[in-house]
Amino acid sequence: MEKAKLIDYTKFKLKPREEIEEIFKRVNRIFIIECLKCYRRFDDNTSEFPRLLDILGEAGRKISGNIGIDFLCNNFLSRKKILSLEFPFDEDIGVISCGLGVQFVAQVLEGKSVYALADSLPQSANSTTEVGFHGISLQEEKCAGCSECYLNLTGGICPLTRCAKGLLNGPCGGAKNGKCEVNPNIDCIWEKIYERFKKQGRRLTLNSVQIRNYSRPSLNLRKNLSVQNQARRGESFYGGLYPPDKKENTANKKIENFPEPEIVTIFLSQHTGKRARPLVKVGERVLRGQKIGEAEGFVSVPVHSSISGKVISLKEEIHPASLKKELALIIENDGENLIDPSAQPFRDFRNLSKDSLLKIIREKGIVGLGGAMFPTAVKLTPPKPVDTLLINGCECEPYLNSDNRVMIEYPEEIFEGVKIVQKILEVEKVFIGVEDNKSEALKILERHKEKIPSIKLLSLKTKYPQGAEKMLIKKVLDREVPPGGLPFDVGVIVLNISTVFAIYQAIVKGLPLIQRVITISGEDLKKSGNYLIKIGTPLREIVTHSFGEKREFFSEYELKMGGPMMGISQTHLDSAVIKGTTGFTILKKSSVKVSEERDCIKCGRCVEVCPMQLYPHYYVFYGKRGEWEKAKDYKVEDCIECGCCEAICSSKIPILSFIKKEKEYARNASKT
Amino acid sequence: MSFAEKLNKGSFVVTSEIGPPKGTEVEKMLEEAEVLRGMVDGFNVTDLQSSVMRLGSLAVCHLLVERGLEPIFQITCRDRNRLALQSDLLSAYVLGIRNVLVLTGDHPILGDHPEAKPVFDLDSVSLLKVASTLGEGEDMKGNKLDGKPEFLLGAVVNPGADPLELQLMKMEKKIEVGAKFFQTQAIYDLRKFEEFMKKVEKYKVPILGGIVLLKSAGMAKYMNEKVAGVSVPERYIKMMAEAKKKERPRISIQIGAELIKGIKQLCQGVHIMPLGWERYVPRLLEASGLA
Amino acid sequence: MLVMQVKPEEEILSRVWGRRVFIFECFGCREVHFPEEKIETLVEKFKEKVIGKLSCDYLCRREFVQDYINEYCQEIERAEIILIFSCGVGTQVVSSLLEDKIVYTACDTLYLNGFQGLTVQDFNCNQCGECYLNYTGGICPLTNCPKGLLNGPCGGAKNGKCEVNPEADCAWELIYNRLKKQGRLNLLKRVFPPRNYQKIITESLLRKGV
Ligand code: SF4
Ligand code: SF4
Ligand code: SF4
Ligand code: SF4
Repeated sequence: MEKAKLIDYTKFKLKPREEIEEIFKRVNRIFIIECLKCYRRFDDNTSEFPRLLDILGEAGRKISGNIGIDFLCNNFLSRKKILSLEFPFDEDIGVISCGLGVQFVAQVLEGKSVYALADSLPQSANSTTEVGFHGISLQEEKCAGCSECYLNLTGGICPLTRCAKGLLNGPCGGAKNGKCEVNPNIDCIWEKIYERFKKQGRRLTLNSVQIRNYSRPSLNLRKNLSVQNQARRGESFYGGLYPPDKKENTANKKIENFPEPEIVTIFLSQHTGKRARPLVKVGERVLRGQKIGEAEGFVSVPVHSSISGKVISLKEEIHPASLKKELALIIENDGENLIDPSAQPFRDFRNLSKDSLLKIIREKGIVGLGGAMFPTAVKLTPPKPVDTLLINGCECEPYLNSDNRVMIEYPEEIFEGVKIVQKILEVEKVFIGVEDNKSEALKILERHKEKIPSIKLLSLKTKYPQGAEKMLIKKVLDREVPPGGLPFDVGVIVLNISTVFAIYQAIVKGLPLIQRVITISGEDLKKSGNYLIKIGTPLREIVTHSFGEKREFFSEYELKMGGPMMGISQTHLDSAVIKGTTGFTILKKSSVKVSEERDCIKCGRCVEVCPMQLYPHYYVFYGKRGEWEKAKDYKVEDCIECGCCEAICSSKIPILSFIKKEKEYARNASKT
Repeated sequence: MSFAEKLNKGSFVVTSEIGPPKGTEVEKMLEEAEVLRGMVDGFNVTDLQSSVMRLGSLAVCHLLVERGLEPIFQITCRDRNRLALQSDLLSAYVLGIRNVLVLTGDHPILGDHPEAKPVFDLDSVSLLKVASTLGEGEDMKGNKLDGKPEFLLGAVVNPGADPLELQLMKMEKKIEVGAKFFQTQAIYDLRKFEEFMKKVEKYKVPILGGIVLLKSAGMAKYMNEKVAGVSVPERYIKMMAEAKKKERPRISIQIGAELIKGIKQLCQGVHIMPLGWERYVPRLLEASGLA
Repeated sequence: MLVMQVKPEEEILSRVWGRRVFIFECFGCREVHFPEEKIETLVEKFKEKVIGKLSCDYLCRREFVQDYINEYCQEIERAEIILIFSCGVGTQVVSSLLEDKIVYTACDTLYLNGFQGLTVQDFNCNQCGECYLNYTGGICPLTNCPKGLLNGPCGGAKNGKCEVNPEADCAWELIYNRLKKQGRLNLLKRVFPPRNYQKIITESLLRKGV
């Protein structure tokens, strides 16, 4: 289909020259705040400031400064920006924006004289002053929000916004050659309505006389809805989304053993940091739990075999997280599950020193299981003092239930694990944060709570990405991790609930990290559930298991490692489960393709949802022009890749793929 | 002497309000007006008061003119756009109406047709201005009129409003665009009214203090709670509460008379809003020494 | 960016009236308001007649909708009526793309304050084309005063609350207070001419496709 015709719905234009001159006569010094516009194709500089200077000429000298703000009416971000500016007391403020922006600035800077330098532009053709809204479509269709929709009587054409008189009971009779008598540039909408009915073989009957009820919606309904909505949007943290959680499918399914894989593909790099060095050769027999890769350097961990059998090759496969080819050991399963003697239970951890605990954690290959795979032993030796341990049981990704099930089925183990970590970190204060959609887990943890008197169990509002470290710390402790900083910068260590479970197993049971709990869920699946799965299980087995058969897969479905929001789209079924795999989500492909080609329409929704308070549409803007390095000016490095912006983008632009590339540029730039 | 002449001469004027019926039965209303013949200087005919649909002000004013009674034509901005308002002013003039009182008007949502589209194309200030321009022989677009309606224009002001300054600013505007007299919201607190009068003295426009007869203590409390700028003192509420039902009109008249006597010292006229108690107006005027 | 409310049940049932239905359901403004449960219970009532259902976001974007329609063309072909759960814009887009089909909306639409912009907030703008905010301390008299008065209050406010809507503040008192704080009360002296409604016609012409 041809590229959509987009209408420029910019909400304002500069006031007429005389009026601007008049305003400038009244002021001595004035600072200009400008909205960089919305609802228009975003492909160029949108500033009106140069035109203002043109108009003013000499008088322009009264301007003491100016700032362009994206989406000036954004309650939160713009307020912050404006309040960070300092204005001399005798300075007035001029605002170039639609009426919303001006009112907003006037409210934020209540004590100042605020001048509107622009007039808002009417959106509706209806001269009885119906306000028109165009959705995000940037097309002709408009809606007045009349709250008693007439479209069912008019073949789906709105007479309120598109008839200049807003007539409800047929045309006024003034149209000439199909053109409106009021505005010959628009069609008589009643003729359109008539034609559409004719096309459908229906007769346009006007026998039920329509009279508008101007008392709808009640004056308060709209206001109350606005208040409710604002409260909801502001819950816990700025931005974020409420995606349908889709957890019900697997929430009540007990953890089962995933069928034994025939082979396992164990990547040597399953952690942040240096790749492990292989310790075994092709042809060698290995035991379950045997160390087969040794850590290289401080930020690194060993890897272990998850089965007993024979190493059949050492080769490169597509890594499920980096999506690049990486070295892996392929081991053929002998089905015996013979356990390596090193995997023995330890003595009571209470008798172990802090250092020996850390050593075990490292030796057993423990990494963060929330997805980031940072070596846990390193995390537990922070370079700065910490006073709080925060256990993350949010699991805010839709579909996933692995953390949820671990909390439900292994509460005692979790509490023991917390005690171990407490001992290592020497901290008293512990919080466990769980989203309130996991009521069963919350109940069960509550019952065990008294095991650690200093622990606080928190039920948090379900909002994505509540589980992101920075959001969680903000919500629970009201501390703000500085840009580029880590939680220990504000005295906190955050551990995922499953990591705590793995720590318990390593210390108390002597079990290296060779298996973990994952959720497999999605659309059209024959089987879904929560599974204890061996690290290295190939993706092919996941697909076969879920559909009950081998099948042509990638043409119809998308396989994401993780949840639908932050999950990584897989491309190769030879890839395999790694330590950071929280689950798999299998989704039907959408009929609308995400496309880099589509224009950003400056709808501002990405800004509205970005929990890091960034302006993601600029990543698209610069990405499209190939000016990758410019994204740094908009703090692309702060992006946590939560995917909110991409999920909401009204143009279905793959914002994250732009971001990833731009981050790379930014990293390289800071290196040199 | 006409209402205008009396105002100009500076004598104390009395006007009373007339509420047109819902329907076409006008006899009772006209009888009530007849009783007041000679006692009042003008009959103020309301324009769909409280946004309740009824017989129009224009027609009733005309009926009064026919009977030799002098009407004051109330016109609001609620129901007509600028075309209709200008036209109605012309119509009023040819029907012999010479006094017009301009108001914003209640919002339809408060009346018996809450679904109605509120018009408010003009507001009280702009309508006053338009009426003045018509008087000068031009419509609001500057087109010449063939014959011009010259009215005595009035407006309303609420002395009890808070913030008062805001009221006064609007009052100033109204004067600027042609208001020649003002009618006030009901007055119960003479001290406050006196302060108000001191503030508006400088404008040198006649003010007609508003009087609403209290019908019961309940009504007084209701007004205190709901009606803008009205505060009935405890003393009056108590008097009404203690009076037996049959006694109430007498007490109410007594209070009204007391207020009118007070008002008389402070301003140029009194405007009575009987709200259904038209029959007691003669007694009220007698008791206040105005009959 | 509009909010939808499901129409009365009887009305929708009478429209469906035993005919084969294809449903479009738009949750593009879900972050604002989406009556999910209501829709479910309603559709339950005639589910045997539903021959297909499409849930998507941004039903108001023609290019997306065209793709959806292509994918579901067989079901849509067989359907006798198309029922839409979306705001008025979405419904209009679908009906313009399926001109020969009977397209019904199941929703009434209203907008939230501030939603001509992007955040829901306390403000509203009437798109009057002749901004008055310079004289009113940045408080819009057109949208905040139910009567849209330009020359000061109607006088009906009680204790600062509007006579029309006692839950709202009298806009003119807000304006007064703000200007007073700024020492700019003289601005209120100006007599405003009546609004120029002609602008709505002429300015709406400026909207052009590119
Ligand atoms: S992915 Fe990055 S830019 Fe997008 S919403 Fe999340 S933090 Fe913001
Ligand atoms: S959500 Fe998409 S279309 Fe809207 S401003 Fe952001 S990038 Fe542009
Ligand atoms: S709606 Fe908001 S973003 Fe759009 S022009 Fe107005 S102030 Fe700017
Ligand atoms: S009370 Fe104030 S806000 Fe309400 S209609 Fe009157 S002037 Fe407008």
